[in-house]
Amino acid sequence: MASLPKRIIKETERLVSDPVPGITAQPHEDNLRYFQVTIEGPQQSPYENGVFELELFLPDDYPMEAPKVRFLTKIYHPNIDRLGRICLDVLKTNWSPALQIRTVLLSVQALLASPNPNDPLANDVAEDWIRNEDEAIAKAREWTKLYAK
Amino acid sequence: MGNVPGKLENEGIARPNRSMSASAAQTSSGRNGTTASGARSQRTSSLVGNLLSSRRRSSSSEANGNGNPYKRKSTKDKEKTEERHVKQLIVKYNETVDGGFLAPFGSCGTDKLDYDTKVVKNLIIERRLAPFYTPLQDFDNSWSREEVIKIIEALPLHAPFNEKLETFEDIPIGDLTQSDIDHLIDKTLSRREQRRMRSKIFKARLYKKRIIWQERENERFLESKIEAKQSKLQSNPNLPSDDLKYAMYSNGSECPICFLYYPQPMNMSRCCLQPICSECFVQIKRADPHFPHDEEDPSKPRDEEKDPNMLTSEPTNCPYCATPDFGITYEAPTDRNVGLQGLAPSSYVHSKKDSLEEPVPHAPDRRGSLASTDRRVVTSDSLRPDWQVKLNKERMRLARRSANATAIHVSNQLVTPGHQASAGLTSTSTPRSNSNDHAVEFQRTPPAPLWSANATAAEIENHMIEQAIKLSLAEHERENSPNRR
Repeated sequence: MASLPKRIIKETERLVSDPVPGITAQPHEDNLRYFQVTIEGPQQSPYENGVFELELFLPDDYPMEAPKVRFLTKIYHPNIDRLGRICLDVLKTNWSPALQIRTVLLSVQALLASPNPNDPLANDVAEDWIRNEDEAIAKAREWTKLYAK
Repeated sequence: MGNVPGKLENEGIARPNRSMSASAAQTSSGRNGTTASGARSQRTSSLVGNLLSSRRRSSSSEANGNGNPYKRKSTKDKEKTEERHVKQLIVKYNETVDGGFLAPFGSCGTDKLDYDTKVVKNLIIERRLAPFYTPLQDFDNSWSREEVIKIIEALPLHAPFNEKLETFEDIPIGDLTQSDIDHLIDKTLSRREQRRMRSKIFKARLYKKRIIWQERENERFLESKIEAKQSKLQSNPNLPSDDLKYAMYSNGSECPICFLYYPQPMNMSRCCLQPICSECFVQIKRADPHFPHDEEDPSKPRDEEKDPNMLTSEPTNCPYCATPDFGITYEAPTDRNVGLQGLAPSSYVHSKKDSLEEPVPHAPDRRGSLASTDRRVVTSDSLRPDWQVKLNKERMRLARRSANATAIHVSNQLVTPGHQASAGLTSTSTPRSNSNDHAVEFQRTPPAPLWSANATAAEIENHMIEQAIKLSLAEHERENSPNRR
C-alpha cells in the first residue's frame, strides 16, 4: 500500500487526542483509510439515546474527493436509505477539501437532528414523514430502540 | 473512408479525422445550407448541427485542422503530449523562485497534477503564485537554527514513491530508450485488446521513466551540494544559503488542506483570505463534465439518452467559504527575492542580525475580497485553460454515441419491410461530394419543407438527427453493397 498522506495521519491523531463529543472514529488495523464510526443520536431527536454504527472510507483522492460514509445500523430517516447510504450535500457536490472527517461526521449528526423529507433518499420514509410526521417520528424512535443499542 | 491513420490510431469505428471548431463547422454548414434546406443554416450554433455538418465535411477538413484543440489526436501524439507533461512535473533544483521550485514536490502522486505546466511556471516566475516549496511533515518550534538547516539540507526534491507498483507488474516495458513500443504488443490479441495493452505499456513505461528522471535530477542536486561543500570558496549560486534555508522554514505555516508545513507567504483565497499551498491549489479543478444533479439512479435515463447540451461542469468553489470561481492572490516575500528574476539563492544573507528573536510578522495591508476578474487573482480555471474544450469534447462524444445508438435502433426498424416507406430517404443535404452519385437513388420522396416555419429548435434538431441517421445508413448500405462499383 502506498504510504499514508500526512493529512490522514494528522487527522487520525487529532481525532484521538481531541475527540468530538458523541462521535468516535477508529481506523482499521489493516487499512488506515477505513474507519469504524459511532455517532450518538442527538438529544431531543427521535434518535436520542441511540448509538449508530457507521463506516467511513477515505478514497485515494481524499481530501480532493469526499470520504465515503454509510450507516451500518438500521435507521428510519428520510435521508438515509435501507443500505445506509446518506443523502448529504457535503458528501457529494458540496464537498470541500477544507472539510475533515470530524466536520463530516458532525454534519451527519446534525442530519439526524434535522431530517429533510423534501430532499429524500428513502422515498417511502420521506412520504411517511410528510404525511404524518408524528407517526414517522414515533417509528424512528422505535427503530432507534430496536437497532441502535 | 478518407484518411485512416495507420494501425492503432484507428480508434473504435474507423472515422475520418475531423476538425470540429465551432466556427469552421458553422461556415461549412452554411455552405450546405445553400443547396439543401435553408433552415439548417439558421441553426448553425446547435451542437448537433455542428456535429453533423462537420461529419459531412469528412476528411477534406483535416488540412486546416492544425492547432485546433478539437482535432482528434493520434495515439502517438497523445502519448508524446503526456510524456512531455510528466517531464514538466520534474523538479529542477536550479530553477527556483524565492526558495521554492517550479514543479510540485508530489505529495499526493502526480495523477491529479493535470494542470497546464506552462501557465503555472510562468505564474510562479511572475510571483503571482507561490512557488512549490518542499514541505516538511512537521515543524517543531524548539528546533535550533542548526537543526532546521540540517533538516532542510536533507530534503529530497521529490516525494518518495512506490518503485514497484503492483498495477504495473507483468507488463513488458522493453527498452526505455527506444520510443517504439509496437513490438511489445501481442499481435494475436484483438484490436481492442491491443489498444488496451498499448495504453498499459505506455503507462508503465512513463511511470518508470518518471522515476528515472526524478532520480537523475536528485543526483544532480546531491552532486552539486557535495561539490559546494568541498570547495568552500566558490559555492553553487543555485543552492540556497543557510540563511535562506532558515529564513524560509523557521517561520512557516501549515496548509489547512494537506496539513504539511510550508514556508510563508502562502497563496490567499481571493474571497476569504485563507491560506492554501500551491500544491493543493493546482489540484483543485472543475468536476468532470456531468449532468446537473448527477445521482446514480437507475430509474432515470442513462447518460446516452440525455441531451448532451445539458452536460455541465461548474467552476470550482472556494474550499473554505464556497464562493464560486475559486481564485487566489499571492504577495511574494520582499525580503528574499531570489532565484529566477532575483538574486542568486546562495548569496542570500538574512538582513536582521537578531534572527533568534523573530519579530511578529508585520500584518500586511489587509485587502478585502477580490473579484475573480481582478488582475491580481489567479483562478483555478486559468490553470486549466482547456476546460471548455474538454466539456465540448465530452458533449460531442455523447452526441455521437447517442446518434449511434439511435442509428442502430432505427436500422433495426428499417429491416422490417413495413417500415421501408417511412424511411423515405430524403437527401436533404448535398451528398458527400464526388463519387457519391449513388445518393441520388435515395431521393425517393421529393424534397419538401421538413418543418413548419414556427417549428421549435428541438423539433428541428430532432429532424436533423433523423436526417443524419438516414444519410449515414444510406452511406453504410452503399459501402456494404457488393455491386457498388
